[in-house]
Amino acid sequence: MLRDNFRKSSLLYLPKVAEIISQLGEELAFVAPNKDAGLLPVNRFLMDLEELAEHVPPAVAAGVKAARGWLDEILDGPAIFTDKSIRDLNTWHAWLTSALLAWERGTAMPAWPDKWDESRPAVAKEELVKNGATRFPLEAEESAVRLNLPDDLEFLRAFRDESLELLDDIEQCALVLEDNPTDVVTINSIFRAFHTFKGGAGFLHLEALRVLAHDLESLLDAVRRADLCITSDIIDLVLSGADALKQFTREVSAQLQGENPGAPILVPTRKIVERVQSLLRGEKTLAVSAAVIADTSEALTFAGFAVETSDPVETSDPKAVLSKVSPTSTDTMGESATARAFVKLDTAKLDNLVDIVGELVIAQSMVVQDPDVQKINSLQLVRCLRQLSRITTDLQRNAMSLRMVPVRPMFHKMKRLVRDLATQQQKLIQLVLEGEETELDRNIVEKLGDPLVHMIRNAIDHGLEDPADRAAKGKPEFGTIRLSASHQRGGIVIRIQDDGRGLDRERILDTAIERGLVKASENVTDSEIFSLIFLPGLSTVEKITEVSGRGVGMDVVRRNIENLRGKIEILSLPGRGTTFTILLPLTLAIIDGLLVGVGNDRYIIPTLSVRESFRPKPGMVSAVHEQGEVISVRGRQTPLLRLSRYLGTPSRAINPEDGIVIVVESGESARGLLVDALIGKQEVVVKSLGGAFAKQNILAGGAVLGDGGVGLILDVDTLVKLPNHPVGVQSPNSSSIL
Amino acid sequence: MNPSPKPQPDAEAGRYLTFSLGDESYGFPVLKVREIIRLCPITPVPRMPAYVKGVINLRGTVIPVFDLRAKFQFATTSYGERSCIIVVQVATPSGENTMIGTIVDAVEEVVHLTTADIEAAPDFGGAPDTQCILGLATIQGGVKTLLNVEKIFLEDGSFSLTSTPKLEV
Repeated sequence: MLRDNFRKSSLLYLPKVAEIISQLGEELAFVAPNKDAGLLPVNRFLMDLEELAEHVPPAVAAGVKAARGWLDEILDGPAIFTDKSIRDLNTWHAWLTSALLAWERGTAMPAWPDKWDESRPAVAKEELVKNGATRFPLEAEESAVRLNLPDDLEFLRAFRDESLELLDDIEQCALVLEDNPTDVVTINSIFRAFHTFKGGAGFLHLEALRVLAHDLESLLDAVRRADLCITSDIIDLVLSGADALKQFTREVSAQLQGENPGAPILVPTRKIVERVQSLLRGEKTLAVSAAVIADTSEALTFAGFAVETSDPVETSDPKAVLSKVSPTSTDTMGESATARAFVKLDTAKLDNLVDIVGELVIAQSMVVQDPDVQKINSLQLVRCLRQLSRITTDLQRNAMSLRMVPVRPMFHKMKRLVRDLATQQQKLIQLVLEGEETELDRNIVEKLGDPLVHMIRNAIDHGLEDPADRAAKGKPEFGTIRLSASHQRGGIVIRIQDDGRGLDRERILDTAIERGLVKASENVTDSEIFSLIFLPGLSTVEKITEVSGRGVGMDVVRRNIENLRGKIEILSLPGRGTTFTILLPLTLAIIDGLLVGVGNDRYIIPTLSVRESFRPKPGMVSAVHEQGEVISVRGRQTPLLRLSRYLGTPSRAINPEDGIVIVVESGESARGLLVDALIGKQEVVVKSLGGAFAKQNILAGGAVLGDGGVGLILDVDTLVKLPNHPVGVQSPNSSSIL
Repeated sequence: MNPSPKPQPDAEAGRYLTFSLGDESYGFPVLKVREIIRLCPITPVPRMPAYVKGVINLRGTVIPVFDLRAKFQFATTSYGERSCIIVVQVATPSGENTMIGTIVDAVEEVVHLTTADIEAAPDFGGAPDTQCILGLATIQGGVKTLLNVEKIFLEDGSFSLTSTPKLEV
């Protein structure tokens, strides 16, 4: 009676089947090549599945039957597992898992791979070995990978971290190959990276990935052995392979963070594996890009990258073109042989170290300057103190340098972006990178990525013209984007330069007037017009982005850069291109500051925002009716803010002539700040003031000064943007402050 | 006769650091106290409420210092020999831990209080500060007010202070 009910709905058998399959999976996890361990349990579970054959969907039953055939082969033959049979069984298991999922959800079954129906002829295997590729019966559906989170947690974490690095390396190397397809060192390092990845994936039984990595490795191996030469197809394959693996790694990461733990991960690898295998078999690729290359130019350049390509027809005869790969670049080999060793470090520990070293420097100077110590008349002590200060200075410099990383990885990401966009938009673009070695605080590098992507995207979308347009204007067909980094003005300058059509001055001005951002009567300079594109009101207007380009989220770009305490400037010449110059501090942790005295207190003004400082002469300051005071700086009337009044501390400088005016700027506006005295200029380590002061915007932070006290860093942005005080303002009641 | 059941104090039995403000005696749960430091030069922070004395450098970390006297609106006196800063660790409403220095007149002692020693804060008739009182402890004939460190310095449910409005005509 009960049994009849079960039969009515085969779905009731699903849990049973699922249980067997998961047990089977566990057994498969423990089998090893050239051993028979696990063979019998696997066989037993398979028999259990066969018993349920009439209750499961036909596709699943057929799958079980196929595995039966393989297992019989093993049992009849050597009775041990081989690499291949393990891989087959694992892939089969993955297929079955996804079939089960489809069964449960009532969706279409993953298509049945027809190759599984054939008995597997030995000839096919041999052909495969010859090609250096696994000809594995390709799963018609993408195979799902399931993580064994509880057991493999630690391994998976390590795998994720390592993989992300490897995949980044692969991506960068692939782009190097585009420029230099014969670089043996680079080919080797891609090969090694895929090999390492394969090892990790194999260890964790991530079968689909292992197969993909293996095939890509074989592909690179073929290149290495000069059976194939690097074409843009191969590079495309390597890149899309890396992308697929990256996607998977991201999923792993998400599951490690507790999102849908244990859910099967679908990796779209099938097409890539097919393409790799067909390439290895010497067939024409399925990709269309080869055709594009043939069209674009005979100079074998593609999308602006000097890629050695072969005619698609020639691919079938690799020997004809292969001599490209030769050990000509041995010189670079020596370079990579001296690769330095690295240690991975928690950034919190690093920040802590920097903090402590900062304290040490202060403690050291307090000892040296202590009056009691200075009274001691001992040459020995003086020598020791000198030695101490030398060591602490060195230590501080070293600690600071720990946080510095070269901009190269970030720049190389842009290469990929340019390549993709150029292909997409059929433009010819050449990306020139300069100063990749320049080092920046890693916090800055991390946050600089998005703005850079944005600006380069803009430059390609709107700045650079189509090849035809460029030719018509008498420009080279190749548009150039120059991305450079250099040390300048005590900071870092990042420059993004294109030789496109430039900003449309009139268009921007018209829209700004239309939007009420600028009065039509106003006389505006070019730089003022260009900086309008940073205004949110302007950038969101679809029309202007179409016509003049730039502006999609440029306000966000500027905000990001200002958050990094940087500045951005634009220079644009119609028809000649646009240059964005980003000025950044070397590090966020240290700023160059002017120490100023206001009443009894000391404040720090970041030097980057200071335009000039001087002692005003009588007559320079004048009161404007209901507009506060202005000071005339080089013929320009600049609003003046008396800091003591604003901050509420009694000032010694009643007349402006008794104090110092510091002209600060933020964005396009400037303001004079009247302070009592200029105490000095010094580098300070910026400290957060903490949550209690998170809401105020007068102070940007604090810094520990030489005497151990805290100096407050003024937020110049706020001060510059304050509405002007009326002249007669009463100073705030200072007794409430201290 | 006791018409209503005795209200339960928020304070738990345990050790408390007691200190004095004027003639009164208060206590912080010892687990919240990170350290006690001598009064040191404090950098005033402009345009803050009067009880915000400023910031100090605590071995490389900048922490705010609040004056409990001013916070509780006691008469301000100049700091004496025994004045010191109790550094407490508080959890912000957003769940982070932050350190705050509080200036008190003098630190007394660490006492162990049992539940029997502690009673709930009486209703002072709408006094605004009862929220930050964990309970009252009577020991050795004196009454000590046990304070909830987290609640004393909350302004509108947040630790973040806003600049005082511009004092303009």
